[in-house]
Amino acid sequence: MYRRTVLLQSICLCAAQLSLQAQEFKLFDRQVQIHGFASQGFVHTSDNNWLTMNTSNVGSGEFTDFGANASVQITDKFRVGAQIYDRNLGQLGRWHSSLDWGFADYRFKPWFGVRGGKVKTVLGLYNDTQDLDFLRTFALLPQSVYPTDLRDATIAHLGGDVYGTVPLQRHLGDLSYTAYAGHRSDSIYSGIAYVASQYKFYYSSYGGLQYGGDLRWNTPLKGLLIGVSRMDEDLSAKAKFINPLNPSGGFIPDNEHSKADWTNQFYGEWTVGRLQIDSEYRRFVNDQVEQVAGSAILETKVDVRGWYVSGAYRIFKRLKIGSYYSRYSVTRVSGGPLAPLFPDQTDTSLPANHIYDKVITARVDLKKFWNLKVEGHFMDGYGDSTFPDGFYPQQNPQGFKPNTNALVLKTSLNF
Amino acid sequence: MKNQRFLPLVAAVVMFGSVHALAGNVKIIANPSVKAEAISDSEIKSVFLEERNSLRDGTHVEPVLSRGGPAHAAFLKDYLGQNDDALQNYYRSLVFTGKGSMPKVLHSDEEVVAYVAKTRGAIGYVSSTAAVDGVKTLAVYQAENKTARKLISSLEPVYPAILHSNQIGGTVRLKVTIASNGTVEDVELLGGNPILGEAAMAAVKKWVYAAGRSRTQTEVSILFDPNR
Repeated sequence: MYRRTVLLQSICLCAAQLSLQAQEFKLFDRQVQIHGFASQGFVHTSDNNWLTMNTSNVGSGEFTDFGANASVQITDKFRVGAQIYDRNLGQLGRWHSSLDWGFADYRFKPWFGVRGGKVKTVLGLYNDTQDLDFLRTFALLPQSVYPTDLRDATIAHLGGDVYGTVPLQRHLGDLSYTAYAGHRSDSIYSGIAYVASQYKFYYSSYGGLQYGGDLRWNTPLKGLLIGVSRMDEDLSAKAKFINPLNPSGGFIPDNEHSKADWTNQFYGEWTVGRLQIDSEYRRFVNDQVEQVAGSAILETKVDVRGWYVSGAYRIFKRLKIGSYYSRYSVTRVSGGPLAPLFPDQTDTSLPANHIYDKVITARVDLKKFWNLKVEGHFMDGYGDSTFPDGFYPQQNPQGFKPNTNALVLKTSLNF
Repeated sequence: MKNQRFLPLVAAVVMFGSVHALAGNVKIIANPSVKAEAISDSEIKSVFLEERNSLRDGTHVEPVLSRGGPAHAAFLKDYLGQNDDALQNYYRSLVFTGKGSMPKVLHSDEEVVAYVAKTRGAIGYVSSTAAVDGVKTLAVYQAENKTARKLISSLEPVYPAILHSNQIGGTVRLKVTIASNGTVEDVELLGGNPILGEAAMAAVKKWVYAAGRSRTQTEVSILFDPNR
């Protein structure tokens, strides 16, 4: 894996010496566009290890991703395309490439189009673009709303979208909508699978129905966008685990299903000149039941709330600075025979139930297609060790400390 | 009097009502395959943001961008309301989520005109002084002007020969007061070259609109293009 990281870094550095350009060629008299991107990060933390990496000694560079896509406009209204994506973030992703998106899109009218295939899920300002480091000022999106270890949970669905943009009368701006339904399928190298593995609980599949919508209003006030998203899910999973009450009993097959799983997100973005201000609020509620041989052994209700306010300002053509405050809290209530092993956590003032993160960033655009970011995180709290929110007992066997400072360096390329 | 330099432009502009006040900073140009003679400011925005790839008349269009320069800056400010950085990020977000493609980007007005001239459905922008041989210049109107009255008959302005031969042109903006019976009651020069303005006002005073319930006012812009 180390050799693979070094190889990718070398490719990136070589590519950076060239003037990267998107590739275009004709196929059956249709123009095909090829684009790609890659990023490499390094994280050093003062105390707790973070994001499934061993970050607190010299730091970790196991923070790499890349993607490449091809798309073609078949007719005036019909286009197809696909993108592959691969990432390695500590214990997540683990270099298992996947189809990131791949769909056919037919736009009947500006106000009505359909997409079918594997489609990126629209949820708030950045869910569908969260992997695209080069689009934003920050090296890490606010983890209260866009936890990178839960990427698989929201990133895409195998199904379809209807979408469109409707201009409003009387100079009231326009409304863009997306409604979707499909199947979510998590990698077994996701944060959910990894956090469960601390209990010798191993998933073989995790996913289910995902449906929802997004409505955003480009207001008549120049540069102001506001919106709301909703996502509902009906999930199931198969796993095996070792019963902690009978460790010598070997692996037991487990089925899991959600009784409730929904996300609400509200957001706004205001761009004025060189300044961009974003703010989002997300609430995620999950009620899931573990069953063995048809009997419930554990029911867990999780309520996650997160919000942030960020500002980014371009000082010079090639230099941007930014800052955000991100606030995350989680509560968990358990029931069933195994509940005593998972005491309820409801006091969000405790560091075990929150993460408050103050962040400062500088981004330098070395070339139009190549940037470098330096970012500082000053975190209070470490979240719930039974929920994937950045801090994991596997990397912190000595226990958690209440505060963590982090230095994040990241560079990315795109063409 | 026939004058092909601005016949279609004037007619289309007036039918749709008032023209974008900043249309004089850049010219919106299109491949001759584009049937429309005029385009609304909101259509321009949605075409260049890839929210639509056809005009109201069904003509397929493909946006073409300039890489930097005053025309590009004016276009972003006047029509898209965002800076170049934000626009490039917008296109990248489309490209990497599969929801759009990267538009053609060219380096100069000459390259934009040449590409638009040879590419079916291409639509771009150049500075108002650029030569636009082989392409058509689209008039731009504001999308929402519900009080606009239909133009029944028009007389085209006479382009003063001395100004034309000296390559002096530009956009003239007029405020037109229309009586309830459709005749033009009054014309006021709002902006532009005064000599071209006189020529435009003389012609517009003889225009006739559809009858209405009351007197109305509208804004008319007329482009005098010395290169046509």
